[in-house]
Amino acid sequence: MIPALPLLVALSVSVAPAEGLLPGGEFSPGWSRADETEQFGPSDLYNHINGGAELFLELGFEQLTVARYRAGDDELVAELYRMTDPLAALGIYLSKCHEETPDPALGERHTVGRYQLVLVRGRYLLILDNRSGKEALRPVLRAAAADTAGRLPAHAPVAPFEVLPTADRVPGSLRLIRGPLGLQSVVTLGPGDILQLDGKVAVSAAYRGGDGGTLARIVVTYDDAAQARAALAHLDEHLDPHLHPVSHSAGRLVYRDWSERFGEVIVEGARLRITTGLVQPPAGSPDE
Amino acid sequence: MLGVPRSADAEEEQPAPPPVKTNIDEFMAVPRGPHAIPGPHPGKVVQMSNPASLTEAGIDAEVVRQMVLGGITGLTGGSLDDAFRASMSVDDVVGIKVNPVGPPLIAVHLEVVDAIIGWLTTCGLPRDHIVIWDRFDKMLVDAGFTPERFPGVRIAGLQVLAEEEGEAWQDEAGNHLSQGRFDLDTYYRADGVLGQTVPGYASDDEYLNQHVFAGERSYFGKLVSQELTKIINVASFKNTGNGVSMATKNLGYGAICNTGRLHAPLFFRVCTEVLAAPVIREKLVLNILDGLRGQYDGGPMMNEPFVYDHHSLYFATDPFALDMVGHKAIVAKRKQQNVTVNEHPRYTQYLHDAQALGLGVVDDANLQHIVVKQ
Repeated sequence: MIPALPLLVALSVSVAPAEGLLPGGEFSPGWSRADETEQFGPSDLYNHINGGAELFLELGFEQLTVARYRAGDDELVAELYRMTDPLAALGIYLSKCHEETPDPALGERHTVGRYQLVLVRGRYLLILDNRSGKEALRPVLRAAAADTAGRLPAHAPVAPFEVLPTADRVPGSLRLIRGPLGLQSVVTLGPGDILQLDGKVAVSAAYRGGDGGTLARIVVTYDDAAQARAALAHLDEHLDPHLHPVSHSAGRLVYRDWSERFGEVIVEGARLRITTGLVQPPAGSPDE
Repeated sequence: MLGVPRSADAEEEQPAPPPVKTNIDEFMAVPRGPHAIPGPHPGKVVQMSNPASLTEAGIDAEVVRQMVLGGITGLTGGSLDDAFRASMSVDDVVGIKVNPVGPPLIAVHLEVVDAIIGWLTTCGLPRDHIVIWDRFDKMLVDAGFTPERFPGVRIAGLQVLAEEEGEAWQDEAGNHLSQGRFDLDTYYRADGVLGQTVPGYASDDEYLNQHVFAGERSYFGKLVSQELTKIINVASFKNTGNGVSMATKNLGYGAICNTGRLHAPLFFRVCTEVLAAPVIREKLVLNILDGLRGQYDGGPMMNEPFVYDHHSLYFATDPFALDMVGHKAIVAKRKQQNVTVNEHPRYTQYLHDAQALGLGVVDDANLQHIVVKQ
């Protein structure tokens, strides 16, 4: 028997959208916004997102405002996510893009398809859904995005990927990692916060390998070299059981995975550089 | 929209928990009946592909219908009537379990279900013996599975879930409104895994709203345990993190309540062990993957940049063989798209576990993937 429990959960609230950043419908003739918007915080984001809320939370999520716009039978749904900082917003944006397909008429960084438009500006992420997929609604989608982008605060650019090499990088593969979940999408190295990120931002990208396949590079920048060395030592101690150390030292770990591919983890000052998916053992390892 | 299907990655990055004891042994102790999975075609998967099934103009219902009928006969080797009578009769109550998550792109397409219903009724099954079902009633409506769209066919969600302010989910006694829809005698038990203080839920109330119960037991819906006599499982073709959300997850997380507690300690095990329960194992006669569109990343929710036209439907009596074929196809697509692929063995271990239990055949030597291009 379930004990009697009062209805404590506010599933949605009728309040103005966060900071008035969503337009009222004036972006295109005939469109208007439904009176009620919904807002979600970190504790109830699961009630809105059908899978994937965890990545928002790991990267740094503060608030989501959802508004619906209608013109006759047509509907657009706008989701405006306020993240903790621009890196968090960029991280989500990149996870939803692959190769960007922007509309040249829209200036802010975005990608757009027939059904969805995703835009990032500062610490805000906007997702516009065109449920019908009608081509005729593309201009409306663009107009709604432009209107919203114009309401978002100005921001300073972020450039976290400069630590990654550009040669042979696969377009659309840049990712931001701020915890175990983001890391897991690239590689399984061990349990929990195996790289001891503790909220620090790591960056990753895929690269074309010599065998026609791809390999992944991850770079973590710690506060100092001692932290980087400690992270490597932690990784060495808790390495996933499907990864077998080939060689390890205070500044380098080479492992072989279950598919006979190799990985290399190197300390470079305050940075940890990780390469996975190598067909041959890296130079200097015993199996070379 | 609900927060039900969470990403596999979110569950898999956690530190390895201590082993959780479930009642899988009790399930497996029940003698297998004549229709138990993997059914008459273990390890066999038929893929029907036709580029005309999905074009700029949308889905061609007639092409899809031909694909469905061709897939059924291709799988079973006999006529459509033979295929029906091999596993069903006109007295059966047949539940079509759909995945309604992610319309309009990756939810199960209505035209696929139309074709299945057409096959069943042509073989003599009355329309009122057909139930289109999922766990959540609202999601069915959201994806277009309504009585108006499917006249004469019952549409059933196992439970309600309140999403709007003021919407009720408890009765005056504080019980979930859907509590009576679950079978307290038929459950998946995970010892010590409670649906309380589960990360991601603001309160136990919020958990109960979504999951109905919060103890060690995840009860099967009465629809599944008491009303349906056969199940046709129609799943989407998509990833969940580094794994897939296809045939086994569609039923594993769709037939029971109180699943939020299971994600962290048992994510993929649920996909094997819930299907081992006799109320599923003995009734599941056909599995279909709706791969008219696929999604190779960003799942289980819809992410348009990763959705592609796949023009395929997959058929199997063996849900684990089907998921293994689907997993391989998604991995291949990810590689083709130069998406980083984490092929850690943990993402397919549950399929091998199913084979060890005799529920499916997934090893390369015995997996038979037949592609029919129309």
